[in-house]
Amino acid sequence: MSDDAYAARIFLRSALPLLPLVVEARPGLARGFAGSRAVFQVSARLSADPGLREAELRILGDCCRGADPAAPRAGTHFLVGGGPGSEAPASGGAGTALRAAGTAPAAEAAAEPPLLKTVPGLHPAPELELEFGDLAALDAFFRGRPKGLPKIRGALRGPGLFLSVLRSLLAMGALLGAKEPPAEPGEAALVTRLYLSLLSSGISGLNKAGHPEAAAWARKSPDRVYAWEVEGRPELGAYVRVKAGNSRSARGPWLRSRPFFAMRFDSPASALGVLLEKDDMIAATAEGRLSMLGAPEYGAALGELMKLVGRYAK
Amino acid sequence: MSGLTYTMLDTAKLSTAEVYGQALCELGAEHPEIVGLSADLAKSTKIGLFGERFPERFFNLGIAEQNLFGVAAGMAKAGLVPFVSTFAVFTAMRGLDQVHTDICYQGLDVKMIATHAGLSFGQAGSTHHCTEDLAIMRSMAGLTVLAPADGLETALAVRAAYERKGPVYIRINRGFDQRVYEGAHPGFEIGKAVTLRDGGDITIVACGATVWRAMEAAKVLAAEGLEARVLDMHTIKPLDEEAVLRAVRETRRILTVEDHNVVGGLGSAVAEVAAGSGLSFSFKRLGVPDCYSIIGLHEDLMAHYGYDENGIAAAVREIMGRDFEADENWDDEV
Repeated sequence: MSDDAYAARIFLRSALPLLPLVVEARPGLARGFAGSRAVFQVSARLSADPGLREAELRILGDCCRGADPAAPRAGTHFLVGGGPGSEAPASGGAGTALRAAGTAPAAEAAAEPPLLKTVPGLHPAPELELEFGDLAALDAFFRGRPKGLPKIRGALRGPGLFLSVLRSLLAMGALLGAKEPPAEPGEAALVTRLYLSLLSSGISGLNKAGHPEAAAWARKSPDRVYAWEVEGRPELGAYVRVKAGNSRSARGPWLRSRPFFAMRFDSPASALGVLLEKDDMIAATAEGRLSMLGAPEYGAALGELMKLVGRYAK
Repeated sequence: MSGLTYTMLDTAKLSTAEVYGQALCELGAEHPEIVGLSADLAKSTKIGLFGERFPERFFNLGIAEQNLFGVAAGMAKAGLVPFVSTFAVFTAMRGLDQVHTDICYQGLDVKMIATHAGLSFGQAGSTHHCTEDLAIMRSMAGLTVLAPADGLETALAVRAAYERKGPVYIRINRGFDQRVYEGAHPGFEIGKAVTLRDGGDITIVACGATVWRAMEAAKVLAAEGLEARVLDMHTIKPLDEEAVLRAVRETRRILTVEDHNVVGGLGSAVAEVAAGSGLSFSFKRLGVPDCYSIIGLHEDLMAHYGYDENGIAAAVREIMGRDFEADENWDDEV
């Protein structure tokens, strides 16, 4: 039962948040969401058994935020275009002025809601919702072995949104479920980015969920950063910072100091070779496709946690 | 005065100040312009070995340190390379005017070997402690300041001092130092720190007698799962700024350790460089806490003031527990 909850946490809190990255990388998918202001949500009902439910609530953490205490659920929702009620600025607004001044990033932050934004927890009134009967059903669906379809609310009211969400989820599923590294370099880079983000978020998530192995590792740790890097492609990397039981995962490079330990791949192809278990890690290290920067015993511990995430998210 | 706290077995491993005397003899044999000067402390400072080998090139100026440095300056002006040896407290304070005006201001090729530095002569009392010399000598323009970690490094420092034109101040202990470099030295270069141990959690920057202690502390910490980088900062001036900045960037925590007042010495030198980096970092100085030391044996005094190996390890643990400001966001990025 706990394994179902841990797996659900990884799917809701680590895998689903990758959806915006997929949509951002695929213009066809992005067009499907452009101009919309909506919320869609993926959720699952928790166990009816009070004892099991308590454990699930603890493990799923902020995925249960906003849930009805009488019928608790866990979920993740997405704001499309900032969600309903958010307006894009008319011309001449603050964003335009900032763009004219040349401070484009500030302009973006000030004026443009992201196309798709992930929010852990439940929204009170999503336009579209995919609700699973329990955590096991959610896990099975995302593992590609569905035990039935989720309850879908809002598909008929907003077929356009439903189709865009469905296509995006299928695209993400295809990317994460790839058995072979994609040949096209852009796709390989995207899959690398997704995997490394998933690993860092998964490890941190399992610690926050109190998974015995992950929590023991984080509890003993002084302030350290473990990073996954791809040479020459800092945007593909990810890291997890741990300190005395706390952990935080993030995408991209850790810039504030040298990471305590880093797993560095010489290319996205090398990264996927190792992550998809097509390449032997020792051979990859010997041949320079993978470098472990830091003491090997810490690399071994990190490797075990990566396998743990992989077991739940497979 | 008793001061021997080691067994016969220990002395076989300890590097003594005699290494400095031997190194000077070798150098003197190669370079006839080298002369040795002392202020009636030839036996204590071990420059007496040079005097025994080259009696015609060794001068005892008596208990008159100002004259000692004045004569050294005159000899340097005449084309000789004087190695001047007395206690650090006398070099840095009693003869300072001559060091400043006669030697440093004129940029003369005088090499000052200051022995019994820090609290290494602890049992002799505060008049013979020298916890101010690094602060004083750092502020002498044009002066190179060295603080080697053990006998081997001292020998290399003596040779490097000869090869470096201009005034040089070398600070060493009373003689009973633990050996840091068991085998060959990785390479002594003035202004380049030696990374004795790499680590990602914190950087311990030490000089002189505290280098061995920093390494011992690092071993203890490693057993606890903390990985400390240890730098032998044998050159206080010019400081290896690149090593300090790399430590700030890569470990973000720095602990300095010196057998010296925490004011103005190694810790202050490192802080000056690190603060100029513009990066945030956690920092602590270990040393004599801006007071006149009590009297005791060197090891006991270092323990008393918290910069022995146990004090260093405790300080590291304390720093590792500190939070960086505005850095406590533990939400996973989504």
